[in-house]
Amino acid sequence: MEAPGSNMKPTHFLIGAALAVAAAQSVSAHHSFAAEFDANKPVSLKGTVTKLEWLNPHIWVYLDVMMGDQGGLQPWQCEGGAPNVLTRNGWSRDSLKPGDQITIDGVQAKDGSKTCNARLVTLPDGRSVFAGSSGGDAPPPPNR
Amino acid sequence: MNPVKTRFAASLLAALAMAVVFPLLAVGQPQEFRPPVGPAPRTPSGKVDFSGVWQKAYVPDMTKDGRNQQGFPDLPFTAWGEAEWKKYDAADGDYTGACLPFGMTRSVNTPEPMQIMQSDKYFTFLFEQNSWFAVVPIDGRPHGKGIPTWFGDSVGHWEGDTLVIDTVNFNGKTRLDTVGHPHSDQLHLIQRFSRPDLGHIAYEVIVDDPKTFTKPWKNTRTFTLRPDWEMMEYSCEENNKSLWEGRIKAPTYR
Repeated sequence: MEAPGSNMKPTHFLIGAALAVAAAQSVSAHHSFAAEFDANKPVSLKGTVTKLEWLNPHIWVYLDVMMGDQGGLQPWQCEGGAPNVLTRNGWSRDSLKPGDQITIDGVQAKDGSKTCNARLVTLPDGRSVFAGSSGGDAPPPPNR
Repeated sequence: MNPVKTRFAASLLAALAMAVVFPLLAVGQPQEFRPPVGPAPRTPSGKVDFSGVWQKAYVPDMTKDGRNQQGFPDLPFTAWGEAEWKKYDAADGDYTGACLPFGMTRSVNTPEPMQIMQSDKYFTFLFEQNSWFAVVPIDGRPHGKGIPTWFGDSVGHWEGDTLVIDTVNFNGKTRLDTVGHPHSDQLHLIQRFSRPDLGHIAYEVIVDDPKTFTKPWKNTRTFTLRPDWEMMEYSCEENNKSLWEGRIKAPTYR
């Protein structure tokens, strides 16, 4: 398993280079952010990717997260942008692989489930890339 | 060299070294895409030809300015319109989250591109968002008299080199934008397309809805030709987990 800060993968290099373009063009408008997510519930999830669903209308990243306070290893699922828009911004279905150690900054779903809207993904090399999001009523990504 | 100049030179050298060692740090500003340059193309019959794949302005809120978008900040709501706006909560039912048709304004507002195909008889919007389309007769025929629809009934006419698309007969089930600005089934939408050069469309959308607004208002946008883009399939229903797992509610229409 790859440790944080290890050698950069070419795919990570590519999406890192595309970060600025992604931040400028952004996202997907499939649904309203406010319909599903709570901007007042920010989360920062450090974990191991278990699966990437590269499907419309949004990509979904599944990861196992070690929660504090003896919460143990818990599975989370996080929504990213639309595959079409992310593809034009330099992402591919191979950008995240099972076993990758990442951190996702986003916000949690209103229903309290372990579901998040991903704004920023920090890759194993430490680079932060914009992951897209649902509608334009979402809060801006955090500055890192 | 005096100390100030020395420090300046050292700083300059350090900055140059940083640029060489960390070239990706310079990626902070995105490279602006440069569309092809030239005059606006015309059809064999001499009309301005809008055909192509276009990068639109992304407009989740039509009151706000944005990249290539000039919004209308203070909407002139009627009492009915104000009440509709204040009571809207997407958590109560989000028709786009349920993959129902976005309608005309929200389809044009999306960040996904659209392709325009045009003949002397028809102007066709091919929206990548949910792979929807809208066909607009531009041969001078009047509006149809069909049942009200999500995208409304559109016809177009020429005012010089500007194509004016006039849409009525909406079903009133859509919202104007992602944040949920309202409209009624009395919405009369006017979209004005002109093409100042090969690479750009100058676009205006005028919202005329006497039930919702006391006067018409508009947005002004620029679209950019993207010959480097191909349209891609977008099946909204493919993996709509948010709806299936109950985090998005589908509205009901009965």
